[in-house]
Parts: sequence; structure tokens; C-alpha cells
Amino acid sequence: MNWNWNRIVIAPVFPLWVILILLFLGLVLTVVQVWTIQKRLGRPKAILISLLRLITLLLLVSFSANPSLTVRKEKKIIPPLAILVDRSQSMSLSGKGGKNTRLDEAKAMLLEGEKPLLKTLRESFGVKLYAIGESLQAISESDLPDLRATGRRVDLNEALEKLGSANSAVLLLSDGNVDWNGNKRKAPPLLTVPMGDPKGYRDISIKEIKAPPIAFRGRPVQIDVVIKSHGYSGATVPVVLKNGGKILTARSVPIRSSPGEEVISFSLTPEEVGSFPLSVSIPPQFGESLTSNNDGHIALKVYRDKIRILMVSGSPSLNYRYMRSAFRNDPTIDLLSFVILRTPANIINVPLQEQSLIPFPVETLFINELKNFDLVIFDDFFYRPYLNLNHLESVREFIRGGGGFAVIGGPNFFGRGGYEGTPLGEILPARFSGKEDYRRDRPSGVKLSRLGTTHPMTRFSSVGNGHQGVWQEMPPLDGINLLESKSSGTVLLESTDGMPRPILVVGNYGKGRVSILGTDYSWKWYMGMLAQGKGNWAYLRFMERMVRWLTRDPSLDPVQITMPAKKGEVGREMEVNIRVKEEDSSPGSKRIVSFSVFNPEGKKVVSQLRTTAQPGEFLGSFLPEKGGIYKVRVETPEGHLEESWVVAEAMEGLDGFPDHEHLRMIAETTGGKVLSSGKDVLREAEIYSEKSKEHFVEERRLPLWNAPYLLVLLLAVLGMEWYLRRRGGMI
Amino acid sequence: MKRHPQGKSDISRRKFISLSLGLAAGALFPSPRPSLSAPANQVAPTFSQFFFTQIKYEGGDWDPNPQFLDSLMEELEVRTSISGMKERRLITLSDPDLFFCPLLYMAGKNEFDPFTPKEREILGRFLTYGGFLLADDAMGAKGFGFDKSFRREMNQIFPDQELKRLPPDHSVYRSFYLIETPGGRQRVNAYLEGITLDQWTPVVYSQNDLSGAWARDRFGKWIHPCVPGGEQQRASAFKAGINIIVYSLASDYKKDLVHHPFIKRRLNL
Repeated sequence: MNWNWNRIVIAPVFPLWVILILLFLGLVLTVVQVWTIQKRLGRPKAILISLLRLITLLLLVSFSANPSLTVRKEKKIIPPLAILVDRSQSMSLSGKGGKNTRLDEAKAMLLEGEKPLLKTLRESFGVKLYAIGESLQAISESDLPDLRATGRRVDLNEALEKLGSANSAVLLLSDGNVDWNGNKRKAPPLLTVPMGDPKGYRDISIKEIKAPPIAFRGRPVQIDVVIKSHGYSGATVPVVLKNGGKILTARSVPIRSSPGEEVISFSLTPEEVGSFPLSVSIPPQFGESLTSNNDGHIALKVYRDKIRILMVSGSPSLNYRYMRSAFRNDPTIDLLSFVILRTPANIINVPLQEQSLIPFPVETLFINELKNFDLVIFDDFFYRPYLNLNHLESVREFIRGGGGFAVIGGPNFFGRGGYEGTPLGEILPARFSGKEDYRRDRPSGVKLSRLGTTHPMTRFSSVGNGHQGVWQEMPPLDGINLLESKSSGTVLLESTDGMPRPILVVGNYGKGRVSILGTDYSWKWYMGMLAQGKGNWAYLRFMERMVRWLTRDPSLDPVQITMPAKKGEVGREMEVNIRVKEEDSSPGSKRIVSFSVFNPEGKKVVSQLRTTAQPGEFLGSFLPEKGGIYKVRVETPEGHLEESWVVAEAMEGLDGFPDHEHLRMIAETTGGKVLSSGKDVLREAEIYSEKSKEHFVEERRLPLWNAPYLLVLLLAVLGMEWYLRRRGGMI
Repeated sequence: MKRHPQGKSDISRRKFISLSLGLAAGALFPSPRPSLSAPANQVAPTFSQFFFTQIKYEGGDWDPNPQFLDSLMEELEVRTSISGMKERRLITLSDPDLFFCPLLYMAGKNEFDPFTPKEREILGRFLTYGGFLLADDAMGAKGFGFDKSFRREMNQIFPDQELKRLPPDHSVYRSFYLIETPGGRQRVNAYLEGITLDQWTPVVYSQNDLSGAWARDRFGKWIHPCVPGGEQQRASAFKAGINIIVYSLASDYKKDLVHHPFIKRRLNL
């Protein structure tokens, strides 16, 4: 540090001419004083006293000139230098020569050798060391040997933003796999040191899988796969598309250039609804530098576009008409119905040409095409004249596989032994109770059973009417089947006359759902409410919910799970939004029983569930520890709901190519250079060191007039004058 | 999940329609034979759900053919799977049970008193939301008698709709029989008229005195001759009656795609 006492400056408090006049007057007074007192004291003493007075006057006049001393302080500083070491995953790939990783290469450059680079740089710079992945992290020299390449892709823009402009230069040791927006900014130049060997790198990777977030059953969906390659020009590689562990298709893709990208498209027609974990993979190729990026995963969510219903009615009836009207007015339903207009007992009196009747294509419907439906409805339909046991067996298999089956009762359905002993008898959740199977002598109202008050099929109108809702207002049913619930059945509606009899019974069979509505007078719920001036909404809503419950339509799920739109990453916490349906989210309601998360191996992982400020909304969270398909399961008293979510594998989608060209572009944009060796680094660093050696730091002004010693001097001069005058007898 | 070989496929809805048409092709195959296990001698007790409900109104002649029902219900029972009650129910328009009637029947010869506003409101609500009315003019004079009064009432209930001739491809002509003319005791119109709301025709109107052709005395003799077509005209009236009943219960079922190829073939279209 140097101090330079080299400047005295004045800043007069009066105009200079006033000061000069005062000075002149002081001199005149001094001369007059010498002349007047020399006669009494003698010439030498008079001159001495007047000289002291002159000094006093000069000091006072000089104060009005406000003199001050300027002091400059200069300091030699050590220029700061930031060293960024890339610790993203691509740095774990092989470096030059293939023996060590790229990160090892960077460490060796900084720490090893006769005179390690880091040590040498510390002599000329204030070095700060950082590890950089998706964020910037300050580290010490002792941390460097243990640094692992596990970070995500480097965001260089954010890192430089954090560093600011304090450094004289920034040294980046990387393989070039960094995000950089190319903007010039006020930042120190970047000196880049490339790691890895672009010439020796060979890789084929699944860069991206493009698919719509949702697909519809029966409609083709296109999946585009972007394949990136280095070093395999002219080769042909197989690309395999799988659903879970099942291979769906495989295609050969010729690699036309290196480096290059190929896009291939797969077309799928999902035949089932649900969430499907799809994967695309390329077998490891000979000499490939990185094989863990040869796979890619997506979860394809498949919905049904329409609910397809096959309805068979035993005869034209009001039940058929009002159900048909309800289904036809629902745009989400496709209805194919067959009504038995004529039984084998009826007599035809006209030739075929004068009839509109068509054959009942049972073989086509019940053997070949049943899989194309979601729900089969038998409306007071007695099967024996039309269907054989094979057809009923086919219906049973349809239900076991996930189909819905609804029975609308009436005098014919359970008549003459009904379906007892047939494949359908096994799956129905109720049987008829005795000798009588149908009664039409005493109209009966209906009420919800205990379970019916919470079941989505019947719990749709509780507001303002207590638990029984609108059901207690429904007109009585003229005819009911005399049912008895099986242990597999759940009674939702019961008759209100005398001993309660099941009217609506539901059950499960395999993956499918079954219901029995034991009356052929449900149409009265439509017209009866209309007669009361209350509209037909209750009947329509019941029919809609019956169809949707039987077909497991997501709209009836008691909760909705919203997964993040983006693919998850290992080690990054993910959040799941859970919303309980409005009608189920009354205050104090604890509808969610549990929130569970299962990793790709099916093991339960640690998860949290917390409430949010919004009523009925919850936030679930968990930390994925490995890549693959995770399953989120929410359980409520009404059932459970599952969703799948893809967590990318560590190297999934990673392009490990050492992109030295990218580093060059970054260096040029920031005014830096690409440096290939430690010597180059030192040479370039020296230039920056010289540029920043000395800097002016501070300039201070010290006022002179208010210094204490001047006051002492002034008092001393006046005192001496007073003493001499007293000795001379003038005081 | 299945991969589509060419990446092209009909959408599901189209496939669904194709399936419907494919099923229609099933006409070429023999009808399924009844199961051998079906006991032929067991007859289920009859629980009829269908019945005629006749409107009893003020003024005019509300019941010109009181004996029409038995013959029609017998024909319905023999020809179709529908079991109809032979009991005719009578009702006034202010009766709340009106809403539980499968088929409301209104007949007459002469002019009748205007309905009260309440009666019009009830009948309008019943018909607008799914009810069905068959009106039968036993006089058959256009613009006079029952026709004049009935059109007046329909105009009051449905001011934006009018009774129109039902087109030849209307479901009421195809619901069971394929008919071209509706028949009746007289031949005033070779067609039926109706009021159609959306896809549903809640009002069907005949001026041919259908019930006059159906009416039979207790000895089994026809009460009225059918002119000018004779018994063939009567047979057409029965066919029309059955078609109207089937339509009232099955709606426009015959408009479904699965029926189209059969009907077109039989009508040589």
C-alpha cells in the first residue's frame, strides 16, 4: 500500500480579493506598529513584537483560505478468479484415452502434476472454486477429490448470474453439455477447458419420445421417437416398443449421418382404457460409450371416447323407451339395442317383405363382438329362446375381463328358473327369494340402504333432503322382483313396504361390475317426478351414474389425482394434487384414507400427505430414488384410485457427446478463449493478472486550519507578544 | 393394447357403426334356434304393462267406438311380444295418473269444449317430456267437428309446432310392419299426421277412424264396414294400430343403423 502526500489545496471561504485586502491591511498595520513603538522599545524589540503580530495576522488570514492536504492511497490487489468444475452426469463418461472419467480429467488438471494448476493460480489470483450442476455450489480444494458427477445438466446462465461481475475471469472445466442461451452480458470472460474426446465418442440414444398426453381407446395414436447417434453412420439399429414387459413392435432404423438425428413413428391403437407404461429401447451397440441412454419411458393414459352399450330388451316397454331416451341424449354413450318384437310363440300373418323385424345376431354379438362393448344390459330379457350356455359363458368372461353388466328386472328375467345354474347365475349379486319371483299387487316405494347413502350410483341428491335424498319422493313401483341379496352383493335400494326387499343390488365379478335393478317400473321415476313438477333429472342422473359406475368411468371416482405434466427426475421431490369431489368434501370430511406410492419394483416408498388452503384439496409428495414407473394410490371408503408417473432413468435422454464446439462458442461470446492445457491456462491467466495489478483505491483531504497544533502556535505567538510588551512596559 | 399394422385405423365410433352394419348383415344367416333346454310347456304368468288410456273430455262425443279394444289387444298379443291389457282406462286431463299412462288415446266425432288452461298445461308437460297421444277422428271431416277442436287444442298446447303429415320413412310406419297407408274405417288420409319434437313424435293423429275399423261386437262381428277398401283396409288399420303401440314403447328404435339394410331391401329402396 502506498501513501502520497503530494497535494495542498485551498478552498477560500471569502473571495480572494477580500483576503488579499485583509493581508495588505495587516502588513500596513505591522509597519505602522513598528514605527510607533520603536521610539519606546528600541528598533529590535519593535520589529520582534510586530513580527509576532504579523505572524498572528497571517495565520488568521490563512484560515480564511481554507487550506487542506490531499492524501491518495493506492493498493495492489490480487485479482479474483472463479473456477467452475462441471459435475453433471455426462462428466462421469470416459475422458480422453478412455481410462478415466471427464471429471477425473478435470481434477487431475487442477490438482496433479509437478506444480498443480490450482496452486499456481492461487499465487496470482484470489481463486474461488465452484462445482456446477443444475446449480452453483462453492467448494473447497479439499472437496475436489471427492466430487462426483451426479448433477443434472449445467445451467450456465444461472451460474454466471450468481457469480456477478466481481471476477476478473471465469475458468470452466466441462465437456460442453451445458445450457447456454448465447446472450452477451456484462460478465467476465469465460476461459473454457474442454474435457472428453469427441472423436472417440460413439453412442446411440433415445433423445425424446413424443406422444399425446392422453389417447382414446380404439383410436390410433402416434408416438414419435427421436434417436440421436454419434459414430454409427451407415449402421441399422433395431428400435423396440414395449408395453411393460410385452413387446408391441420393433422396427429397424438406418442411421444416415454422424452426428445425426432420426425420427421414427409408431402407431398404436389402444384397446383398453387405463395408464400404460410404454418404453422404447435400442439394444446396446458394439463400442458404444454410453448404453444407459438407450431406453426411454412414457406413461400413456388411455380414455374411452364413448361408452358402448349393448342393450337387449325382452319386449318393447316403457322401461326400454325411457332408458333409450336417457342413453341417446348422452353424447358420451353409443347405444346398440335389440328389442325382441316377436317371440317364437307369436304368429306371423304377413310375408317377410311386410315386416320390419330383423334377426337377432346372437353369435356375432355374444361370441365375436362382445369385447367391443363396455356394458351389456339385459332388460327384462329371458335368454333361453335366444341364447345358449356358450353365449352366457361369453358374457361371464366379458364381465370377468372388466365389462359391466346390468340387469333390469321384470316378470321375465327371473322367470322359469331364471339364470340359476347358468354362468350368469354365478356372477349375479342377488337371487330370487322363493316361489314367487315377481310381484305386482302392492306398489312399493324405495329407500336407500345404509351403503346406498354413500354409493356413487345412488348418492347424488343429498342436498336439502337428508341422506335419503330424492329417493323418498320417487313414486311407488307397481312391480318388483322379489330378490334376496347374495353375500357378494351390496344392496343400495330397498322397498319400503313391509319387510325391506332389495331393489338395487350391485357387485363385482373379476375386473367387472354387475348390478340388478329389480323392477320394470323404474320409468315411473321419470314420469312420476315430472307429474310432481320436479323434472326428470333424478331418473336421468341415476341412469347416467349407473352406466358410469358399471363401466368404471373416471368421472365417478371419488377423488381426482393430478400428476405433474413433466417427467420426474431421480432425487427431485414430486408433488401430486389430490382433489376430493365436491359432494364428498363436506367440512370435517376425512374421505382420504391413505396415500401410498410404489416404486418401479412395487415397493412402498416414503410419502407425505398434507391439506391445502382449498377445501377438499390435498398435496401428496414423495422423493423418487430410481427411474421407472411409479404408482400413486389413493384409497377412500368408496374404493381406490391409481395413477402412474414416469421418473426418468439417470442417463435417460442424456446426450453424452463432448460438445467442444459449444464450449468454443461460449468462450467467443463472452470474450474468452478455449484453452486445451494447463500451460495455456497459466499463460492466459497471466494476462488477466497483469491487467488487474494496481488500482487507485482512495483520496482523502485533511483540513489544515482546524489542526490543534495551529491553535497552540497561535496562542504561543500571542503569548510571546504579550510577554514582550509587558517587559517593555507597554501593558 | 394392439399395434395397428399400417398406423391407420377407423376411429372407434366408426368401428362401432361398422359393427352395427355388420350385425345387420347377420340377416343372411339363419336365426338362432331356441335353446333345447327351454321347456316349451312352461308359460310365465302374464304381467301386462301396456294399456290404453282414453281421455274423457267435456262436450262432443269422446267415445265413438267403445268396443275397439279387445280385437286390437288380441292382435297385439298374437303378433308381438307385447302383452296388452284388455281393460281400457278412462281418465280426465286433470288426473295426476295421466303421467303413468303408456298411451293416451283420444277419439271423437264432434267438436268438444276447449280444455282448461290447467288441462292444457298438464297435457303439454306430459307430451313434451315423453308422453304419447294417439288421436282418432271418427268423423273424418277436415276442418269440422273433432278435427277442428283437436287442431285448436294442439295449436294452443304447441303454438310453435303444427300437425304435419308424417313422412313415409317415419318410424311409426316401420316399427313392426312396413306399411304405406294406415287404413281405418274410412279413407280420409293416406297418411298419419303428428307433432314431432326433436326425434320423438308425441302426438299421432289419424282421421281415418282407426278404432272404427278395430271395433267388434261381443259375437265377434265387425261393427263397421271399412270403405272403400274393405277387409284389406281393416287389416291395414290393425297394422297401423300395432305399429303405433310399438312406436309408443320403442320410440324410433327402427331408425337405428342396424335396421337400415333390412328395411331398404324389403322396400326395394
